[in-house]
Amino acid sequence: MSDKIINFDHVTFSYPDTESPAVKDLSFSIEKGSWTALIGHNGSGKSTVSKLINGLLAPDDLEKSTITVDGVKLAADTVWDIREKVGIVFQNPDNQFVGATVSDDVAFGLENRAVPREEMVKIVAQAVADVGMADYAGAEPSSLSGGQKQRVAIAGILAVKPKVMILDESTSMLDPEGKQQILDLVRRVKEENDLTVISITHDLDEAALADQVLVMDDGVLIDQGIPREIFAKVDLMEKIGLDIPFVYRLKQLLSGKGIQIPETVTSEEELVKSLCQLNLKM
Amino acid sequence: MSKIIIGRYLPGSTFVYRVDPRAKLLTTFYFIIMIFLATNWQGYLAITIFGLAAVVATGLKAKVFWDGVKPMIWLILFTALMQTFFMAGGTTYWHWWIFTLSSEGIINGIYVFLRFSLIILVSTVMTVTTKPLEIADAMEWILKPLKLFKVNVGMISLVISIALRFVPTLFDQTVKIMNAQRSRGADFNDGGLIKRAKSVVPMLVPLFIDSLEVALDLSTAMESRGYKGSEGRTRYRILTWSKVDLVPLFYCIILTILMVTTRML
Ligand SMILES: Nc1ncnc2c1ncn2[C@@H]1O[C@H](COP(=O)(O)OP(=O)(O)OP(=O)(O)O)[C@@H](O)[C@H]1O
Ligand SMILES: [Mg+2]
Repeated sequence: MSDKIINFDHVTFSYPDTESPAVKDLSFSIEKGSWTALIGHNGSGKSTVSKLINGLLAPDDLEKSTITVDGVKLAADTVWDIREKVGIVFQNPDNQFVGATVSDDVAFGLENRAVPREEMVKIVAQAVADVGMADYAGAEPSSLSGGQKQRVAIAGILAVKPKVMILDESTSMLDPEGKQQILDLVRRVKEENDLTVISITHDLDEAALADQVLVMDDGVLIDQGIPREIFAKVDLMEKIGLDIPFVYRLKQLLSGKGIQIPETVTSEEELVKSLCQLNLKM
Repeated sequence: MSKIIIGRYLPGSTFVYRVDPRAKLLTTFYFIIMIFLATNWQGYLAITIFGLAAVVATGLKAKVFWDGVKPMIWLILFTALMQTFFMAGGTTYWHWWIFTLSSEGIINGIYVFLRFSLIILVSTVMTVTTKPLEIADAMEWILKPLKLFKVNVGMISLVISIALRFVPTLFDQTVKIMNAQRSRGADFNDGGLIKRAKSVVPMLVPLFIDSLEVALDLSTAMESRGYKGSEGRTRYRILTWSKVDLVPLFYCIILTILMVTTRML
C-alpha cells in the first residue's frame, strides 16, 4: 500500500446542475515515483480527475468514494493537507501567472503557506534557478514566452515541495520546441525531487514514454496499463477516437502486410533497428 | 503594442528612481500642500524652484513633462485668465463691463497658473519614475491604518496587483479581437460617433467572455496553489527604507522652512 501514492476507490463526481456524472465509479492507483499519462478525448473527464486529486473538487459522496493521496484520505478537514502534496500546471500559461514578476509568482504558494520572508527569498531564488529562469527573476509576465511562463509555473510548484505534479495539457499551447523543453525539464525535476508525475495529454507520442497509461472515455476508466499493451489495442484506440502513436501505427500497418515486429519494440530507434535486421534476413 | 503600461512609467536610473515609492508618494502629497502655503512672490519663487529641482533630478527630457501638462493646458489657462480678468485690486489698467485688468489680477493669474502647473509637474515626477505596482504597494502601506476599521487591505492590494498584472494580457486580447473583426470587415475608425460605438460592441462581447475565462482559470490556479484568503499570508515583496530616502525627507524639511519664512515677509 505504501508504494501507491494516489488511490481512487469508486469515485463518482457530478458538476452541479448536470445530468450525468463527469466521472463515474472510477478506481485506479498510481505508483510512487512513476510517470502516468492520462489520455482520452475532449470532455472525457481528465481535468476533472486532476481537480479531484488535489481537492479542488470533491466526490459526490465522500462515504462511497475514497480518494487517498500519500496516505491521507480526502475529507473536508484534510483538503489543505492534500493540496500541499499536489501541484497542477494548467494549460493556459497566462491564466495561472498570479504574481507581478517571475519571483513574485514563484513566491505565491509560499506566501499562502505563511513561509517567513527570509526563507521565502532563498527558496524562490533556488526554484527560479532550477527551471533555468534566473536571468528573468524580475521580469514581468508580458515580456515572457508561453514556454517561459510554464517554467515559472513549474518553479512555483517546486517551491512548495509537493509529492505529485500534474500537467494538465501544460504543453498544448506551446510550439514543438517549447513543448520538448518543458517535458525535458519535468523529467529532470521529477528525478531531482522524487516526484510522481501525472501528465494529461493529447500527444500520444509523449504518452508512449510513460510508465503507465490511463485511458478515459466519458468519465469511465476504460483501460490502464503499460504503453506497449495499451497502444497495441488499435481497435480500442480507434473506437474512442484517439490517434495511436507513430511507432504503433507503423507496426500495425506492417503487420497488415505480413511483417511482424516484436512486441518489445516501442521507440522509433528500436523500430529502425528492427527493420534493418529484417532487411538483412531477407 | 503589448508593452503597454498603465500610468506612464519610463525606465531610468537617477536616484529619484531609487527613492522608496512611499517616500515619493508622501513627498508628492506634501509638496501639493506646501503649494497652498505660498502667498507672495518669494513663496512662489521658492516652491517653483523646488518643483523644477524635482523635475531636473529625474534626468528625463523636458518633453516628458510637457506631455504631462499638455492635456490640461487649456484648463490651466482658462482658470488663470478668469483670475486675471475677474479680480480687481491695486492699479486698474483697463475696465469693460464685468472685466477688469488690474495689477493684483495679473499677479493672481500668474499664481494660479504656477499652482496648477506645479501640481501636474510633481505628480508627473511621481508617476514616470515609479512603477504602477510600486505605487500600489505604497498605497497599501498608506492605507494600513484602515485595518483598524476592519478594511481588508491585504485583499485590496492583491486585487490591485492582479488587475495591474492582467492589463497587458487583456490589452493583447483586445488587439487580437480587433484584428479578427477587422479581417471580417469591421471598421473602428470611420463613421460618426454612433457608428463607431456600434462597431465596438462586437469587440466587447468576446473580450468580456475572455476576461471571465481568465478570471475562472486564475481563481482555480490560485486555489490549487493554496490560496485561502488574505488572512495569514506572508509577503514576498516588501518595501524597505534606504539612505536615499533621506533626500526627500530633507527636501520636505527645507521646503517647509522656506515656505514658513516667506509667509512672514
Ligand atoms: N465547471 C463545469 N461545470 C459543468 N460541467 C463541466 C464543468 N467542467 C467540465 N464539465 C463537464 O465535465 C465533463 C468532463 O470535463 P473535463 O474538463 O474533465 O474533460 P477533459 O477530459 O479535461 O477535456 P479536455 O480534453 O477538453 O480538457 C465534460 O462533459 C464537461 O462538459
Ligand atoms: Mg481538460
